[in-house]
Amino acid sequence: MNNQTAAKLWNLSDRHFLVSGASSGIGQAVALLFDSLGARLTLVDLNRAGLEETAARCVRNDHGLFEFDLRHVEEIETLVKNAVAGAGPLSGFVHCAGIQAVMPARVLTVAAWREIFAVNTESGLAVAKSFSSKRVRADNGGSIVFISSVMGLVGSPAATAYSMSKSALHGVARSLALEFAASRIRVNCIAPGFVKTPMFERGERLWDDAQRAAVEAQHPLGFGSPDDIANAAAFLCADTGRWITGTVMVVDGGYLAQ
Amino acid sequence: MENLLAKVAEILEVDEVKPEDVLDGFEEWDSLTVLSVIVMVDGDYRINLSAAEIRDCRTGQGLLDLVARKATK
Repeated sequence: MNNQTAAKLWNLSDRHFLVSGASSGIGQAVALLFDSLGARLTLVDLNRAGLEETAARCVRNDHGLFEFDLRHVEEIETLVKNAVAGAGPLSGFVHCAGIQAVMPARVLTVAAWREIFAVNTESGLAVAKSFSSKRVRADNGGSIVFISSVMGLVGSPAATAYSMSKSALHGVARSLALEFAASRIRVNCIAPGFVKTPMFERGERLWDDAQRAAVEAQHPLGFGSPDDIANAAAFLCADTGRWITGTVMVVDGGYLAQ
Repeated sequence: MENLLAKVAEILEVDEVKPEDVLDGFEEWDSLTVLSVIVMVDGDYRINLSAAEIRDCRTGQGLLDLVARKATK
């Protein structure tokens, strides 16, 4: 393969992607990488200032910014319609928004797990569902990527609600992959291990030094960076991933190898 | 803060936690209990505690003092 062919494989020019959770962490890294590959973006997050920071770091200056609370799942159809009206049909969606909640069963509440499920799972499904419409999806197919977690594949104490929400994404991806295959829409998950993001830093306070060292030791390659996950998302969304659908790509520094 | 120790008692499933009680002395006081206290204080008082800070509180009074100190910051 020569360099020109490689560049063409990764080229996202003239493709429109919606990225949720784009104000920081993995979502911001996805936005910056996709922007550098030429994509038009609709960036969604609750945090307006973070969205503007992401946009300011992009090469293109025409990305759409949508300050939106993904807990309002019923309003997502309108959000997607507005995104398409502004920047054309979508070639893909990367669902990075999420709540990481460490909650032992003793203090887990119905309200808490419903909120986690709404943001982590239902909002992703609501955006992905819109790809069933010809008015939303691009004619030449597309790629949907849900950022799930190794916690969707293995358990961890105090992570019940989070694990539930991420496992559910795997089920959503498999069934939608089959339903959307005829439209050449591919649907996959990326299951990261522990990645150094603002969300990770908020959760880190729950550990003492020994616990932190133990968790890091579970990653033979150390903790990940948001760019590690963005690289995988780009691989799945670009033509490099054109024969991949209905699967979970584990990107975890070796966490699950043990 | 007056309900704080009652809420800790609820988590520990004991009748009462008194200010002079040594937290480590409760059979159920383990890492998951510490996590549960962090989640409860965050949810009910909007105060962020770390596991290390809670482990440094030897007694119920120590926990009350920690939360009061954090609340005034």
